Amino acid sequence: MKCAWNELLNILPVWMRQSVDELGRQTLLELRLRAGYPPELKRQENCVHLKRVVSEEDLRYIVNTASQYSPWAAETVRHGYITAQGGHRIGLCGEAVVHEGAMKGVRRVDSLCIRVARDFVGIGDDLRSFTGSMLIIGRPGAGKTTLLRDLIRLRGRRETVAVVDERGELFPQGAFHMGARIDVLSGCPKPQGIEMLLRVMGPDTIAVDEITSQADCDALIRTGWCGVTLLATAHAASVSDLKKRPVYQPLIRCGLFETAVVLQADRSWRTERMGQ
Amino acid sequence: MSIKLLGAVCIICACGGMGFSMAAAHRKEESALRHLIQVLDHMGCELQYRLTPLPELCRTACEDTRDVVGQVLLRLTEELESQVAPDAASCMRAAVDKVGKLPTSVRKNLLVLGTSLGRYDLQGQMRGIEAVRIQCRTDLEALTLNRDARIRSYQTLGLCAGCALAILFL
Repeated sequence: MKCAWNELLNILPVWMRQSVDELGRQTLLELRLRAGYPPELKRQENCVHLKRVVSEEDLRYIVNTASQYSPWAAETVRHGYITAQGGHRIGLCGEAVVHEGAMKGVRRVDSLCIRVARDFVGIGDDLRSFTGSMLIIGRPGAGKTTLLRDLIRLRGRRETVAVVDERGELFPQGAFHMGARIDVLSGCPKPQGIEMLLRVMGPDTIAVDEITSQADCDALIRTGWCGVTLLATAHAASVSDLKKRPVYQPLIRCGLFETAVVLQADRSWRTERMGQ
Repeated sequence: MSIKLLGAVCIICACGGMGFSMAAAHRKEESALRHLIQVLDHMGCELQYRLTPLPELCRTACEDTRDVVGQVLLRLTEELESQVAPDAASCMRAAVDKVGKLPTSVRKNLLVLGTSLGRYDLQGQMRGIEAVRIQCRTDLEALTLNRDARIRSYQTLGLCAGCALAILFL
């Protein structure tokens, strides 16, 4: 298991670092911080709370250090998150600034959810024999991104894989091992990124994390049957749940993905053929 | 008699020096404000087209310069990279305090710049920088208005005050 743990500790207020290090180095999944309440450490085995209360200044410190004092530089703030060094995603919650119906940023941060990025090399070995397009589905926090990262590496051993890493979580700079045949476009919205990579990088496989919008699905459909296979992840508890979600229905109808990998709550998975 | 003359020369030199140093401070303030405006222009362009993070932005802005604004930016870069302060405003305050003696208008505008940095949206950030730039231009205009006459006045007043004091003491 690999994790940019020191990068995570460095963005935390000094008083919190030692406790988080002792309690969460091996198993921390999420760190939830709310102004006026103690930090909550969600670990694989349980949840623990620290004693000291989080202040607004602590939250400001985390956002500023994670963004190098430049939250405006992260285009993702308008989507409610920042990706810190090491690929740790920091979800922001508080008072949003909305202009002409679109969220522009956050005026005041009241709570943060820091998801720890961990890399498990070799967890996708059992899926090595699958060669077609594959959709990984599971609940939030089930490990979709972690499995996708390993599958990209596996595919990258035998073919060229182009990755649209919109949130910079799959392959944060210098944090996780990549592979010689993997091209990563980070920070670019998926629809534009998919089409761009298809045109300019000549990939055998295109991989994207978390297809959530109609535009993402449309871009994948446009890319389908162009001679590239696809690897993607989506939020759903099962294939039947996926089929019920209107945004994914065109994707399923056109039969773009041959296999679905369904992640279970106990971190195991099963594969299913994707029917139309 | 020679001691009196020596004293008179000292008084004239001291007062004249005061006048000349005030004129020099005026020029220095003007030059620092001009540099600050250049830095703000640079920041605006970098933010708009490259979204450069603040530490890198400050480092590039203070390259090849050793004046007070450059020194503050260098200190600010160090403060930002040390990740001690909770926000950019605190880093700027620490940097300004470390550099010490700054022209009043430059100090004021740098502190305002510090509070305007670190917004969550780019447009808000650009507007914050633009507001500081406008204030700098206003201060600069006030400084450059009748600048030559004012500088000459400082120098002349210094010398004349020195002469007057020397005559009085003699």
